[in-house]
Amino acid sequence: MASTLGPRHGAASAMNLSTPASTTLFRRLTWEGTVPLEIRVDSKELPANSNRGLECYFIQAARVSYLPLLVPDIKKFLVDVVLDEEGAKILKEEDWWFEAEDGSPLKWHWPIGLLYDNHTIAATIRPTPTTDPVPLRLVLHLALPPADKLLLVPSAEACKQAFMGQLKEADFIRWGSTKRMTSLRKAEQDGIWEGIKEHNFDDYWRVASKVTPTTIPTRSQSPPPSSGSLHTRPPSVDPGTTASAPDKDGASSVRSVPIRIYLPDGPVLQELAPPLLDGERPHTISRFLTSTLPLLFPEVGKQHAYAIVQGVVCPPEAELSWLGACMAGADGWVNICVGITR
Amino acid sequence: MASSSPDTHTRALPTAWTAQDSLDNIAEALDAFETYKKKDVSKVVVRFKAVGNAPIMRQNFYKITASNRFQAVIQFLRKELGWKAGDPLFTYINLAFSPAPDDTVSNLYKSFSTDGHLIVNYSTTAAWG
Repeated sequence: MASTLGPRHGAASAMNLSTPASTTLFRRLTWEGTVPLEIRVDSKELPANSNRGLECYFIQAARVSYLPLLVPDIKKFLVDVVLDEEGAKILKEEDWWFEAEDGSPLKWHWPIGLLYDNHTIAATIRPTPTTDPVPLRLVLHLALPPADKLLLVPSAEACKQAFMGQLKEADFIRWGSTKRMTSLRKAEQDGIWEGIKEHNFDDYWRVASKVTPTTIPTRSQSPPPSSGSLHTRPPSVDPGTTASAPDKDGASSVRSVPIRIYLPDGPVLQELAPPLLDGERPHTISRFLTSTLPLLFPEVGKQHAYAIVQGVVCPPEAELSWLGACMAGADGWVNICVGITR
Repeated sequence: MASSSPDTHTRALPTAWTAQDSLDNIAEALDAFETYKKKDVSKVVVRFKAVGNAPIMRQNFYKITASNRFQAVIQFLRKELGWKAGDPLFTYINLAFSPAPDDTVSNLYKSFSTDGHLIVNYSTTAAWG
């Protein structure tokens, strides 16, 4: 294949990506991915007698988490270090909201990793792009949330509702209905969010594995490598006969992989992304980008852009079904961020 | 950055480019981004369907510009229903899920249209929360 999406990770193609071990490994890597954030409290909104000069909070935040989930830790920091007793009393978290350095309100309902990657690709179209990894700089406002621009109240509860909406939308994209999501018990639905809040991989995947397709051959040759919770489905189909009798939960059995493409400074594109082309050939990310964004990823000749998923430059032969099963965010979506190759 | 994979020689790695190549590439990529940024001015038929006790609309088919965000659909619906700020209204696609308010009508239509319509259900209580 003549196409390139930029520098690639040699390891990915060298190993069998459909073994239980690698599925768990990549899910774990995705889950444990973090990004550096520098959160500066707007000093104009700090109460009198605050300890100024310390209003910057640094955190290595989980990619799969959300800004509202950082609020309790930031509040603790402010109360412990920055504010005096009077100032701490008048804090109202429900008025808190986050702004990017350029003054635009941050999407509090986007995963933090997506905010970071979106910032990374936006930097590639600036006149003087910075390539050094730096923290994503945010401003935390303690008052006057701009309701019209934030769309919804930036609370953890509203964030949870938005998250569940995304999970269901992903479910609908995959299977044409939300049956898998709606058949989860209330405790399970709550548990999946708790898993994110507490950053507990096992708690999250105990439930998420019921709605996420698997790349694991249905009759695996070896027992699961770690906790059995990821592999609750009984073996039912011979791997060799997968083509004629596809596993109903297999990554290639979905109608479409939940994928969104992000371009620098918008727009966001959502295209149907069937896992197989002509019903048999695996749909690769390079093929998908060439058909969706031919001006950036022409079929022949030099590629003008590169694509990252979860902060990692994607090898062109990466299969969409595999990305959906292993590299999706906690909300089930594969977010592809496109930047300029320089 | 270079790959250790055997087919490296078929790939035009950025590091191998000349400065002029690089400038041309950036210009072409920026042009491409401008093209993809252009708003989709085509119209999409949105069909509103009441759920539960929500009032039924006399007219329930509307043509809405595809580049609009779903938030604009919600605001339009609230206006048509005469809803005041704070009155509860829950919106769903295909009786199944609530989309993000910043998603575009165009994206939703591409993925979820039924018989040429984007079906938007609305309810005064959380139905499929």
